Amino acid sequence: MAEAPGRIAILLELVGDAVREILAHPLRSLLTLSGIVFGAASLVSMTSIAVGMQAMAYRDLESIGFPRSLRVRDQGPRGDATRAADLRHPGLRIADAEALGAMPGVASAMPNIWGTDQVIVGPAGRRIAPVEGVAAGYLTVRNNRVIAGRDLGPLDISNVSRVVVLGEAVVADLFGTAPPVGRTLTIGGTRFTVIGVVAEQVYEMAPIDNSWITRRMYVPWTWAQRYFREPGRIDQVLVTARPEADLGDVIRRAELLVRQRHGGAEDYRLINEAAEVRANLAMADQVLGGWNAVMYAISIITILVGGIGLFSVLLISVRERVREIGIMKALGADEGDIRRLFMTESLTLAVVGAVVGVAAGAGLIVLTKWIGTQFGRQFEIPLHWPGAVFAIGFAIAVGVLFGWYPARRAAGLDPVEAING
Amino acid sequence: MAALIEARGLTKTYRLGQVDVQALRGADVDVARGEFVAIIGPSGSGKSTLMHLLGCLDTPTAGRYVLDGEEVGGLHGKRLAAVRNRKVGFVFQTFNLMPRLSIEENVALPLKYRGGIARRERRARAVAGLEALGLGHRIGHRPEELSGGERQRVAIARALVGGPAILMADEPTGNLDSKAGAEVMRTFEALHAAGNTVILVTHDPNVAARAERTIEMADGRIVA
Repeated sequence: MAEAPGRIAILLELVGDAVREILAHPLRSLLTLSGIVFGAASLVSMTSIAVGMQAMAYRDLESIGFPRSLRVRDQGPRGDATRAADLRHPGLRIADAEALGAMPGVASAMPNIWGTDQVIVGPAGRRIAPVEGVAAGYLTVRNNRVIAGRDLGPLDISNVSRVVVLGEAVVADLFGTAPPVGRTLTIGGTRFTVIGVVAEQVYEMAPIDNSWITRRMYVPWTWAQRYFREPGRIDQVLVTARPEADLGDVIRRAELLVRQRHGGAEDYRLINEAAEVRANLAMADQVLGGWNAVMYAISIITILVGGIGLFSVLLISVRERVREIGIMKALGADEGDIRRLFMTESLTLAVVGAVVGVAAGAGLIVLTKWIGTQFGRQFEIPLHWPGAVFAIGFAIAVGVLFGWYPARRAAGLDPVEAING
Repeated sequence: MAALIEARGLTKTYRLGQVDVQALRGADVDVARGEFVAIIGPSGSGKSTLMHLLGCLDTPTAGRYVLDGEEVGGLHGKRLAAVRNRKVGFVFQTFNLMPRLSIEENVALPLKYRGGIARRERRARAVAGLEALGLGHRIGHRPEELSGGERQRVAIARALVGGPAILMADEPTGNLDSKAGAEVMRTFEALHAAGNTVILVTHDPNVAARAERTIEMADGRIVA
């Protein structure tokens, strides 16, 4: 007695027979598959692109450094203030920045002075530009790039040096084509030495325009404080938490500290940048979720339409093969044999369509990346596996759903009538 | 001799629109093991219907049918298909080979539907069957590459491959020229001589004359 074939051998034979039948009508099979192919391809490519873009936007936002920082901003006296505490309005002070900087879990507390527009005179011309007083490392903590010379250092701050970092966009007006680093200019009549040039970070995905950075000039905040403000007053403190610190805890303690120091006066404002970024990301997530839902819906409809194509082609196939089905029955094939024959054909077509579609979707992703490189953008778009798995799974469901009736119809044929055509 | 077929009062009624058509009006048939029987009669006499019932392709409206010791008159669907697969081998007038399959794949089909037999084993038995009928040199060919007589012998090999209790042929020479027809009839005679039970449906008296016994039909009844 020969060994009985295993389940896998039986399955392989069924699939082999189905493939043979499919290949006997290559054009018809191709047309049948097109709906499922398009549905799977659009699902895989669009969800991959959306998820890839979102990941890139996340990386951009994180690289800005915002998520670990908090800004405390001077509000000045309130116009409608009636409470005694508000009228005292001590305002934001250097001592506040020092107290914040001394808090545990705080990496830095950088004072800021928003200057006003000043007349800047350089060797090649003049320009009116805003002057900002910043701390050492303020420019680079937000990922801006010092493209010539150097950033402001701690000594520049403590010495109240008359040194300036120029925004990239103002260099040409003041120095023409000559390199500016090491040369001098005057700000409101005071002579400054240029120590560096700063350019903004360009982000691939985050909707951030930082070009204003390049239209300003940056001087030590200690100089700007004396030049622009009353003694002791500053405009803002940028508090950055240590990487290991609990950000929420740092923010709560910072808020408490400032409130105590100001005796309840509402002369400052806390800007929780982390929360702002989180809100932006949440909005991006929502948009993405909506986009993905739309893509899933469109793909489901496309694959369903493909399923209807599959359905009609299977019905045609049953009608064409009535006589064959009759012969099979005469030779002893039962309803299960016939049903399996057509169900396997339906499922094979559906799965082949979905797999071809996923491959086509992967091709579309490669194409998108290539188009990106043509515009100087580096897109990172990994294949979105949940989309691919869903496309194949749904195609299998469609194969079962739309194969069922034709298979049942074929299986139910009367052998005598079928064999006589 | 043991009865292979024992049918009593086989009746088949078809419904054509509003009218009932009685294709078979109570036929009693007995066939012994090893017999060679011809069923004859003009077209519309019910001989094809009788063959379909005896071959388990169809179920009788009424009557009892015992095939090879098994009561099959009331069987349907899967169980009837299994009986058909194991006990009956069919040969048709138009050969009814699968055009896209090679001849050995055609011959192996009944074993495929029987289930539980590995593909290699099925092929080996199909090849052996074709060789026994002198078709060994045609293995690997498709039906369309064969002559009519060869195709009918492929169909006979297919009918025999499962070791059926009974070989049923419906006008097996009807689509063949006289030379090929004579060769096919010699094949049936050889199979009968080897101990097979053969039932042959024909309206050709020359073909019927080759059988041991004839069952003559008219108007849905056995008349002789």
